[in-house]
Amino acid sequence: MSRVLYTAANPPARSAWEAINPMRMIGELSETRYWMYLLLLPSALLITAVVLYPTLYGIQLSFREMRLNRPALGTDWVLFKHYARMLADPIFWTALRNTAVWVTSSIALEFTVGLIAALALNRNLPGTKVLAVLILVPYFLPNVVAGHMWALMLDPRLGVINDLLVKTGLLTGYKAWFADPSTAMAAAIIVEAWHSFPFFTLLIMAGLKGIPTDLYKAADIDGAGPFAQLRLITLPMLKTIIAAAVILRVIGLVNSPDLLLILTNGGPGRATQVLSLYAFQTAYKDFNFGYAGALSVVMFILLMGFAWAYIRLSKVNQD
Amino acid sequence: MTQTRSGSKLVWDTVSYAVLILLAIVCVGPIVWTFLTSIKVEEDIVTRSMVYFPTRFTFENYVKLWSQSSYPTLVTNSLIVTSMTVLICLFTGTVASYSFSRFNFAGRTQLMLAYLIVRMFPAVLMIIPLFIVMRQVGLLDSTFGLAVAYTSFLLPLFVWMLKGFFDSAPKELESAARIDGSTRIGAMFRIVIPIARNGLVATCVFVAIAAWNEYLFALMLTTSQGSRTWPVGLQLMVGEFQLPWGMLAAGGMISILPVIILFAIVQRVMVAGITAGAVKG
Repeated sequence: MSRVLYTAANPPARSAWEAINPMRMIGELSETRYWMYLLLLPSALLITAVVLYPTLYGIQLSFREMRLNRPALGTDWVLFKHYARMLADPIFWTALRNTAVWVTSSIALEFTVGLIAALALNRNLPGTKVLAVLILVPYFLPNVVAGHMWALMLDPRLGVINDLLVKTGLLTGYKAWFADPSTAMAAAIIVEAWHSFPFFTLLIMAGLKGIPTDLYKAADIDGAGPFAQLRLITLPMLKTIIAAAVILRVIGLVNSPDLLLILTNGGPGRATQVLSLYAFQTAYKDFNFGYAGALSVVMFILLMGFAWAYIRLSKVNQD
Repeated sequence: MTQTRSGSKLVWDTVSYAVLILLAIVCVGPIVWTFLTSIKVEEDIVTRSMVYFPTRFTFENYVKLWSQSSYPTLVTNSLIVTSMTVLICLFTGTVASYSFSRFNFAGRTQLMLAYLIVRMFPAVLMIIPLFIVMRQVGLLDSTFGLAVAYTSFLLPLFVWMLKGFFDSAPKELESAARIDGSTRIGAMFRIVIPIARNGLVATCVFVAIAAWNEYLFALMLTTSQGSRTWPVGLQLMVGEFQLPWGMLAAGGMISILPVIILFAIVQRVMVAGITAGAVKG
């Protein structure tokens, strides 16, 4: 059967069967000028249903009373009651401070280790391809397993890390890392950095491939050492990708309480209580959906503000 | 001059190897230690002096976990949720990503940006309303409901990652097919998707791993054995029954095995896709 280019001016002759043949109908539909929108329709509808609608619903909830375990209270509008309560809630302020520590320390550690790994891998030394795969593995492991692996290794009685530290003389006795308020956050940050630093390695490696080697040759001739080259060529050339990586990680760290939920559940006391965890517990344990909604709205606004300021700052520096 | 440069190259090569080997040990060490714990006998785990190289091995932890706990059900549920998530993303996301990659139309940039920004929405902010809505429509505590909830953060990711692969597939073959009289949809299914096959597989694997690993949504949106996934189940076992370390380690090993196998198979293409999406984003 020879193929003919059918157009609106030259439509194919149809039999009764062809008029209802679904394959043919879709084929013709794909020639209309709404085709690209039709392709987007299923995903757009789904995202509207599972992201936009719930988000708007959630914002709306933050202005209402909604406690699943106390239905007698009803679901009336309470305006800014939850937000006012938040200002006077000491746990909120502790969680806000902890979130700042949690996010900045994790990012700093992940970025540093990620950059070092990427620079070393970018030298393309023989045999390092295998090491690259091994280094990326933690990023793909589930939080639940990553958390328990480290909980096992840091265990106050059976932990191998305690044993190694004692044997090398760095520690005099076994330590309960997650039970001590002064070390719990630091231990959690190390686990988090172990889990997510490969993300920086991945992105920085991709960015390094895009830097012209001529720049380094020129710098060599000018007598710039490796550290000067890093500061004057590599980091400035990576600015966009570092900005993108930092924003994506900040979003991840602020939004997901998973790892802390598994490792410490906010404890001991409130030493590792962060905003996302507090909001989740308020919803999951107390069923106070209104207050949890208000907490997450504040989190969202802080995140948007950060992203906006960060993008502006990195753009200003570029000019 | 030349001599000092090659000398310093040697120094930096050595430093690179040292750093990479150290990092690889730090990255894989916990997995190896967990595996060792899972095949140790109980007396070698709970001991006064650490056993680094066990001489006795056992698979009892695996057998006990598989036969005496609900772990098989949990893993099955996870498999169902993961497959459904991938299928939903595949059916709705592939065409969207093709549309973004191949057509220029009014609102394209804004829509793509919207698909990126939805990733910023806090999970907790969405979980609460999703809980309420799913309870109303009867999807709470169902594998399908959980899979739909997962698309909220995985579908935008899927679309962006796959768009990178579609972008790098040459447009000429498609044009040739069109000149030969193929419809747009015909060209998409017969030419473009087969070319971007590897990318499509890698994107699906990435989404599958994320769905398989997910904990928070599953904790909130499942309440019973019928739909509970393994991360929630494992965590509950730790809390309720004081799961012994050996069995916990065995559970961890069972559940990361598929992740590591899939990652090993498609890692090169997947890594390219993640970085391409992020570089452009």
